[in-house]
Amino acid sequence: MCVWCERYSQGHERWYLNPANYARRLYKVRKEEVESAGAEANPQAAGGMATVGRDYIEAMQANDHETVERLRTAAEQRSWAVHFGQVVTIEEIHQILEIIYPISLITCACRRSMRGLPDEENFTCVGMGPGMYKWERWPETYRGGVHFLTPDEGKEVIDVLNRRGLVHCMYTFGTPYLGGICNCDYPDCAGIRTAQDLGVKTLWKGHYVADVDSDRCNGCALCARRCQFDALSFSPSTQMAYIDPLKCFGCGLCRNVCKPNAIAMVERASLPAVAEVW
Amino acid sequence: MALPTILVDDEKCHDPLSCRKCLLVCPTRVLGLGTSVGPEKFKQIDPAFFVVRGVRFQFCTGCDKCVEVCPTHAIQISFDGGKVA
Repeated sequence: MCVWCERYSQGHERWYLNPANYARRLYKVRKEEVESAGAEANPQAAGGMATVGRDYIEAMQANDHETVERLRTAAEQRSWAVHFGQVVTIEEIHQILEIIYPISLITCACRRSMRGLPDEENFTCVGMGPGMYKWERWPETYRGGVHFLTPDEGKEVIDVLNRRGLVHCMYTFGTPYLGGICNCDYPDCAGIRTAQDLGVKTLWKGHYVADVDSDRCNGCALCARRCQFDALSFSPSTQMAYIDPLKCFGCGLCRNVCKPNAIAMVERASLPAVAEVW
Repeated sequence: MALPTILVDDEKCHDPLSCRKCLLVCPTRVLGLGTSVGPEKFKQIDPAFFVVRGVRFQFCTGCDKCVEVCPTHAIQISFDGGKVA
């Protein structure tokens, strides 16, 4: 079972469908934690989002498993207490947009950091909840400004970003306070990059796993360019999509472009081998 | 596999957020932007405080495209333990 649901769902189907996790009281917890963790600007962190530094990469390259393990554990504990994400499907985002208020479209700090993307091309991030009322106080965090949206406008924006091929992730700001819907891709997004390149779980897999119905797959391969997690490949021998359930993050991006509906999102919990693979 | 030393002279690199030539030219997206100061209330960070640093060191091939594209020659890459030619 998902540890975050276990701790924070309070009877709701998922922890991110529990309205209490969007409450301001929790938002205040974050400030103290972040300040006490000394999370001030670090140029090496490139935008302040890198959870591990060069020493981690060096230890990885040197096969120094002990150091890697120690740094990984420390980074994950920090991230899970303050700022981490979990992948969700577009249906779940639509549900979430009915719960949260206010909803705002802001610029993406990751893509500013990795691409230097100008603000006007960079509105791919959704900030939400009471934290957004403070936006004018923090012009750097909200560089480029803020567009407040109705729930329907929010859904339209999410649908466009999904068509573009971006993965929706719920992010905490002082766990379990949920303050952002990140719309991510590899390698610009720090969450996906850190999980994929470094094995540091700052981004958790979602509650679903994509499954291909070989009777329905017509071999069009439209899905093949949608996967950001290296989980989906196109098999030349079967002329069909092949999905590795151990690598699948359950975002549903491949399913969303499948014309013959050959890809289904099945509950992670229903597959014993991946039920605890997060 | 060797990791590069990536040295950026912040004095020579003005306003990388607007320039960003090195970020865009890198075939493996090794470089990233950070800031040398933290966010402050009611203040946007001046572009002068943005800095370029290596992020994904393990993907650097040493192609030197960033070195060549930099209009102010601010970037140096070395694969022999920090000594830059």
